[in-house]
Amino acid sequence: MDSPLLRRCARAVTTTHKHIRRRAATQQCRFYADQSDFRAAAPIRFDQPRAELLDNDDRSRGRRDEKPEIDLYSLRIVPASPSYFTATPQYTDDLLHLSTLVRRHKLLPHLPQGEAPRIAWKTIDQYKTEKAEPVKMKGYNALLKLLKELNYIHPSLMPEEVKAALETFKRDVQPYLNVPKPLTVDAYGVSIAVGRRKSSSAKVYLVEGTGEALINGRPLTDYFGRLHDRESAVWALKCTQRLDKYNVWALAKGGGTTGQAEAITLACAKALLAHEPDLKPALRRAGCVTRNPKRVERKKPGKLKARKMPAWVKR
Amino acid sequence: MSLQICLRCLSRPSAPSQIRLVPTTTNKQTAAFTTSTPHAAAGRIQVSQMKPKRTGNKPTATRPVRVKRLSPKNVPQRTGRPPAPGERKALRKRVVLSNTNALEVQGMPDLNPWQLFDKSMHGSVAGLPDDVVDPLRVVEAFKPTQGWSLFRRPATLVRSETVEMASWVQEVHNSQEGKTVRKVLFGERGSGKSVLLLQAMAMAFSKGWVVVNFPEAKDLTIGHTSYVPLYRNNQLYIQPHYTASLLAALPKANPILADLRPSREHNLPISVPPNISLARLCDLGKDPEIAWPIFQAVWSELTAPSQPDEGEGLVRPPVLMALDGLHHIMCESEYLDRDGKHLHAHNLALVQHFLSHLSGASPLANGGMIIAATSGSNKAASPALDFALRRNEALASSPGADIPAWDPYRKIDTRSLKAMDGVEVWRIEGLSKEEARGIMEYYAKSGMMRQTVSDTLVGERWTLSGGGIVGELERGSVRMRI
Repeated sequence: MDSPLLRRCARAVTTTHKHIRRRAATQQCRFYADQSDFRAAAPIRFDQPRAELLDNDDRSRGRRDEKPEIDLYSLRIVPASPSYFTATPQYTDDLLHLSTLVRRHKLLPHLPQGEAPRIAWKTIDQYKTEKAEPVKMKGYNALLKLLKELNYIHPSLMPEEVKAALETFKRDVQPYLNVPKPLTVDAYGVSIAVGRRKSSSAKVYLVEGTGEALINGRPLTDYFGRLHDRESAVWALKCTQRLDKYNVWALAKGGGTTGQAEAITLACAKALLAHEPDLKPALRRAGCVTRNPKRVERKKPGKLKARKMPAWVKR
Repeated sequence: MSLQICLRCLSRPSAPSQIRLVPTTTNKQTAAFTTSTPHAAAGRIQVSQMKPKRTGNKPTATRPVRVKRLSPKNVPQRTGRPPAPGERKALRKRVVLSNTNALEVQGMPDLNPWQLFDKSMHGSVAGLPDDVVDPLRVVEAFKPTQGWSLFRRPATLVRSETVEMASWVQEVHNSQEGKTVRKVLFGERGSGKSVLLLQAMAMAFSKGWVVVNFPEAKDLTIGHTSYVPLYRNNQLYIQPHYTASLLAALPKANPILADLRPSREHNLPISVPPNISLARLCDLGKDPEIAWPIFQAVWSELTAPSQPDEGEGLVRPPVLMALDGLHHIMCESEYLDRDGKHLHAHNLALVQHFLSHLSGASPLANGGMIIAATSGSNKAASPALDFALRRNEALASSPGADIPAWDPYRKIDTRSLKAMDGVEVWRIEGLSKEEARGIMEYYAKSGMMRQTVSDTLVGERWTLSGGGIVGELERGSVRMRI
């Protein structure tokens, strides 16, 4: 069957009534296909001469035995899915499919609230582009709700069909798979962490010890003349009262004095968390955990600096 | 009699100044008849007339159009007596040794050189006895930047370096053949080098030695005092006024000089009686014209062999010579020679005198100590000295260790390198945790530090002071009251 309309019919064609000949006025004209003439073309046989050169009898003889004649005039093409009659058939199909899955697997064990794997689902624009259908936000949200419910099924017991269905709705690149490498304490008892502030960066090697600190090979007082900078560099240890329990070896570069001190703060805190992860709330309260995102603002055209405007002139 | 007038404001002082540290050649006479304030006196020039009128009220790129300027009538008049010459310097250099608001630490022992070897003294703070504080003040061993004014009475921590120093003092004191200990102290800023010098001087004073101190080597080379080439010697220059002030301080700090008399004749520009005491001889040296020959005479007397059997006044105690700020005498000075080139510091006679003793070229017949300390905060650029310190330290640590070598393609001051040949160097590091605890307990007992001294606090302050650097420890505990 050649026409696309006929190709999409999954069910067999049914004829509801007997073969009735109805000739319309158009049938008078010889250009319009007669019922008897309307039949599927025979497969092209290259060993034979062309069809128009054959007699009618030859043609009809070949077709009658192979397949039953389909009365295409009275043929009722039924769509595979009733959602054909909606504005968004593929969306409706998806929605129904997911609802079925949810209902079918409702009794499977689910993960606790908040512990489901974090997935980046397709955005509504991506979905609409893919399906080429005018899906509304409300409708798509309903779809997402079902997806999230299915995502809560325990991964060890998730059925294959659910997995396959979820895969089709996931974004190609999953940003949540990009997790940072967890900081560990190596065989020598050293943890390494990096911290940044403004344009400085620092790498800190933290190991259990007696409270010595060396920055770029120089003692703390030699590197930071200001007491404030010294205190902030080891703030993570100072606020948790562990200054005499660890030794710090830091390599700092870039920026200025205070920037390097603050970079060492962050790096030291991260390295300390590798040794003692339970200190995270205390360090967060002390302000050592968040990377300060401030940077120097760029100069803009028409201004003297980032914000400073030249002197206002009346005319 | 000339009246002193301030050249800036043409005013006269209403009272003579009391304190003078640097010898001046001007005669200080004040106008006794003055009853009015200098500003009310006639001939006073308005400040506005002296200063050039400001022009340039024009708008520029960064300045707004209208600029408000004070009109000449509204300039505030300076009231009060302007300070006399030398008063500002005296105020700047004054050292306060007592704070009556601090608590007295009960049971604090005194710094007794004979008791320092007792293990119980190590790590505790010992006070300086009064008979030692006065001579130390005269030789300017106390520095204004140190924290003496925060506590009730001057006291220092007995650290391991103090005990070592005391052992050397004991060795020199007990030796018969005149042992000389020559050391250069170096280390980080605030690590306690100057205070170790002070402790050595205190021990020397209490043992009855003669102490000669150069509190700031910078004063020798900065070019602020007079200098004169030695007669028929183009290489060596003497500093008359500095020598005179040194000689003036010598008998005041060392009363033992009053009991000593010369053992031989000296060729001096003035005639001196034969039985003159060394103290009186030093007093004669207050005149800058004859200061240098008298200094040489006094020094030769002090380093003459002791003759206790000959008679009284010929016993010679050991001599301690100390200098702070070694970097300044290991480079070029600010003085100029006849060709306008800078003199090397080693061309100054006093510097040469000290360095010849430090290198061991001039031995001390009766023994003694020659110590020099570098300064972390007041440093001149002397790559030769820095290299010499590293080299000497490497040589002393182990014979086979890598000894740093100077890049032969770079210039170096060879005179300074030669002066440091064979000189023992001593790196002063931070305190140990026990010593840090000792001094923090002293701070707490004095009431200057309010926290309870616990192991955590000691550890914290020890780390934050860069491994127990005393100066930083004091700054963090006592000066910065958070």
